[in-house]
Amino acid sequence: MLRKIYFMLMISLFSAVLPVWAEASSAVKLEGDFKVGPAIILIVILITFIMVGLFNRAKDTSTYWAAGRKISPVGAGMAIASNWMSAASFLGMAAIMYGSGYHGLSYVVGWTGGYVLLLILMAGQIRRYGKYTAADFIGDRYYSKGLRGFGACLAIFISFSYCVGQFAGIGIMFKWVMGIDYTWAVLIGASVVLAYTLISGMLGVTKNMQIQYVIIIVSFMIPLFILTYKYGYFWLVPQVGYGNVVSDVVNGLPPGKGLSVMGHDFGILPSPEFAMPWDPATGQTAFQWIAICFSLMIGTAGLPHVIQRFYVVPRARDARWSVVWGLFFICLLYWSAPVYSAFGKILSSNPEVGALAKDAIVVYTAQLGAVFPLIVGLLAAGAISAAFSTVSGLLVAGASAFSHDLYYRVINPKATEHTQMLMARIGTILMAVSVAIVALLKLGLIAQLVAIAFSLAGCTIFPLFLLGIWWSGSNRKGAWAGLIAGTIVSLVAIVNFIVSKYGGQLPGQEMISYYLNAWYFAWLGAPLAIITNIVVSLLTKSKTPAEIEQFLAENVHNY
Amino acid sequence: MVNPKFKVNFFKPHTDHAKANMRLIILLAIIWAVCVFGFQFLLIAFNKPVPEANYLKFQQIWPNIQTSQADADITRNFTKITMAVLGKNIALKAPHKAVLDETLSTLLLKLLPEDQKEAFANDPLEYLNNNDLHSVLGLEKSGFDKLMYDLLPTSLVKVDNAELSPQIIKELPGIMELYLVHNRSFLTDSKFLGFPFHYWYTAQFLLILFVGLCCIYAIYIDRLNKKYDFPD
Repeated sequence: MLRKIYFMLMISLFSAVLPVWAEASSAVKLEGDFKVGPAIILIVILITFIMVGLFNRAKDTSTYWAAGRKISPVGAGMAIASNWMSAASFLGMAAIMYGSGYHGLSYVVGWTGGYVLLLILMAGQIRRYGKYTAADFIGDRYYSKGLRGFGACLAIFISFSYCVGQFAGIGIMFKWVMGIDYTWAVLIGASVVLAYTLISGMLGVTKNMQIQYVIIIVSFMIPLFILTYKYGYFWLVPQVGYGNVVSDVVNGLPPGKGLSVMGHDFGILPSPEFAMPWDPATGQTAFQWIAICFSLMIGTAGLPHVIQRFYVVPRARDARWSVVWGLFFICLLYWSAPVYSAFGKILSSNPEVGALAKDAIVVYTAQLGAVFPLIVGLLAAGAISAAFSTVSGLLVAGASAFSHDLYYRVINPKATEHTQMLMARIGTILMAVSVAIVALLKLGLIAQLVAIAFSLAGCTIFPLFLLGIWWSGSNRKGAWAGLIAGTIVSLVAIVNFIVSKYGGQLPGQEMISYYLNAWYFAWLGAPLAIITNIVVSLLTKSKTPAEIEQFLAENVHNY
Repeated sequence: MVNPKFKVNFFKPHTDHAKANMRLIILLAIIWAVCVFGFQFLLIAFNKPVPEANYLKFQQIWPNIQTSQADADITRNFTKITMAVLGKNIALKAPHKAVLDETLSTLLLKLLPEDQKEAFANDPLEYLNNNDLHSVLGLEKSGFDKLMYDLLPTSLVKVDNAELSPQIIKELPGIMELYLVHNRSFLTDSKFLGFPFHYWYTAQFLLILFVGLCCIYAIYIDRLNKKYDFPD
C-alpha cells in the first residue's frame, strides 16, 4: 500500500511540474504576485494527502482515535516528527534565530531536549497505562470526572493556542503564494485546512503523516544544498558547511566572491551579535534563554497531541523506539533550520532588500539566494504541509477532547458513535473558526505563539502525568491543588501578556512580563504545580484507590 | 488495606528491576541537565563584555567629536564607525537607526566642501546620486568599505546643521556600547568545524546528545525488561 501511495505522489508531482515549469518565473519576486508554480505544487500535495487519507479510512472509533495501534516504531517515529514539525519548526525557529541570534537556539534545544524527558519518564509508561487521550489518563488515574473534564478543557485550550501559531504560519505562506493581504490569506488558509481536516480527519492520518514528513524534510533540505554549493561553502553536508557561514557573519565577509544578491554584493559587515550568547543588542538575557529552554522541554512532555501519539503503537517497547526515531527525524530538520537564518542574515544584509517578515525568512532566503523558483515553491508548499500536518493533528486532538472526553465521558455517556463523530466535527469547525480569528490579531512571532501552548502544558498536564505515573501517593486533592496552582500562574502570565499587548496597565507589569513572560512561564509554574500536588497529597487523608495503586505497580511499572 | 508493595515511588523502588530502571533514569537525567544547562552556566561564568575594535576607536575619538574639535580624518573615522553599526541593520532598533542616520548625515555634511553643503542639505539622496562620496568619506571601492558605501542610500537623511545635536550627543555612546560590545570567552572564540565552539555545541552537539541518550535508554530498557522478564 505504501509503495502505491509513493507512486501516486510521484505521478502527481510530475504532472504538476510540467505546466509549472513554464510559469516558474513568477516566483522570483519576493512579495506581491500570485505565484502559479508554488500554488500548483501546493494543490497537488494537498490532493495527494486527501487521497492517501481516503485510502486509509478508519472503520471504527478505535481506529479513529488511535489509528488502530498497528504502526511500526519507524513509521510512528515519522508520524511523531510530522505531527511535531509545524510552522513553528519550519518557519518560526529560523525567524527567531534571524532576529535574535543565539537566543533562538533556546527553541532548538528546548523543542528537542524535551523528548529525552518524555522518553525516560513517560513514553513507555503511558502506553502501558493504555488510555486513548490525555484527559482519559488524568480522569482514570485521579479517579475524578471533574479532573477529566478539566483535563479535556485544557487539552482543547492547549491545542487552540498551538493552532494559533500554525494558522499565522499558514496565513504568511498563503499571503506569499497568492500575493494577497494577510487577513484574506488567513481566512482562505483556514478554510482550506478546515476542509482538509474534515475530509481526511484522522482517517489515515498516521499514514499521511509519514508522507508529509518526507515532503517536509525534502523540501526543507534541497535549498540548503543549493545555497551552500552556490556560495562556495561545504555543500555535501550543509548542516556542517554552514559553520563557516556563521563565522563569516560574526567576523564579516567582504565582497569578493563575485556573487551578488538582487544586485548587491554577497557580503556582510562584522555582526558578532548574531552568534554571541545573549548579546545586549538582541535585548535577550541568559535567564530568558534558560527559562524558554526549560519551559519548552517540560511542555513537550505535557502536550496532549504528542502524548496521544504513544497510544497508536502496539507495545510499550514500540512507544519508546518511536520516540527515538521521532527525535532523530525531528533533529534532521532542527540541525538544518539555523542554516537558513545564517544565510538569511548575509543575503538580506543590504538595507535596500528591505525589512523582511521574519516568519517568512526561510522562503525569502531561498528567493534571495536565487534558488530555482520551482524549488522555492516546493519549500513554501513544505511549510504549508508542516502547518497542515500539525493543525490536522491538533484539531483532531482538540475535537476528540471535546467529543470523547467532555461530551461522551462527562456530559452524555449514552451518546452513540454517530453522535460522537458529529460532535467531533462540530468541535473541529468551532475550533478552526475561533483560531482563525485569534490568528488575525498578530499577537507575536509563530514560535512565540506556539511557546505559550508549551508553557501551558508544562504547568498543567506535565505535573499530573509525572506524579500520576511515578508516585501513587499523588491523590485527587493533590492533583486538583497542583492543577489550580499551575492554572493560576498560567492565567497571570497570559492575562498580563494580553493586557500589555493592548496597552493596558497592571500592577507589577514589568516584573511579570520579564519573569512570567507568556513564552516561558512554565519555568515557575511547573515546579510550583508539582510541589503543591505533593504537599497537598501528603497533607490530605484521602488515598489513591488500591486498585489503581496495584495497576500502577504491576502493569505500568514492575514494582 | 493497601498492600505496601503496591506503593509506587520513583525514589523507593521495591524490585531489582525498578531499582535498575531508577538508576538509569537518574544517570541519563543528570547527563542531560549538566550538558544542556551546565554548559550555559559555563558560558555565563566565562563571558566577558569584549568590545569590537570600532568601539575602542569610538571611545578614543568621541571626546573630539562631541566637542567639535575633530579634524577631517577623525571625522572620517567616526563616520566609518557609524556605518559599521548601521551595517548591523537587522539587529538595529528603529530609534537607534534614526540616531545613527542623523549622525552620519551630520558628519558627512561637515566633511563636504563649503560650496556643496547646501546641495547636500537640501536633498542628500539626490546629492548622493550625482556625486561620488568615496573620497569624502575616505572609503575604498572594495572590501568592507564597499558594503559601507552601499548603506548610504538608506541611511542619509536631511540635516540642516553640521554639528551633532545635544540629543544625539546624549544617546550615541549608549547605542555604540549596545551594538559594539559582545559577550565573549574562549568558548565563543575557539572554532569547531568552522563554527564558534559554543554555537556548534548548542546547535548541533546537544541534538546529537539527545538522540544518543534516547538510544541508550531504549537499548538498556529493552535489556532490563528482558532480564527481569517484564512483558512489553
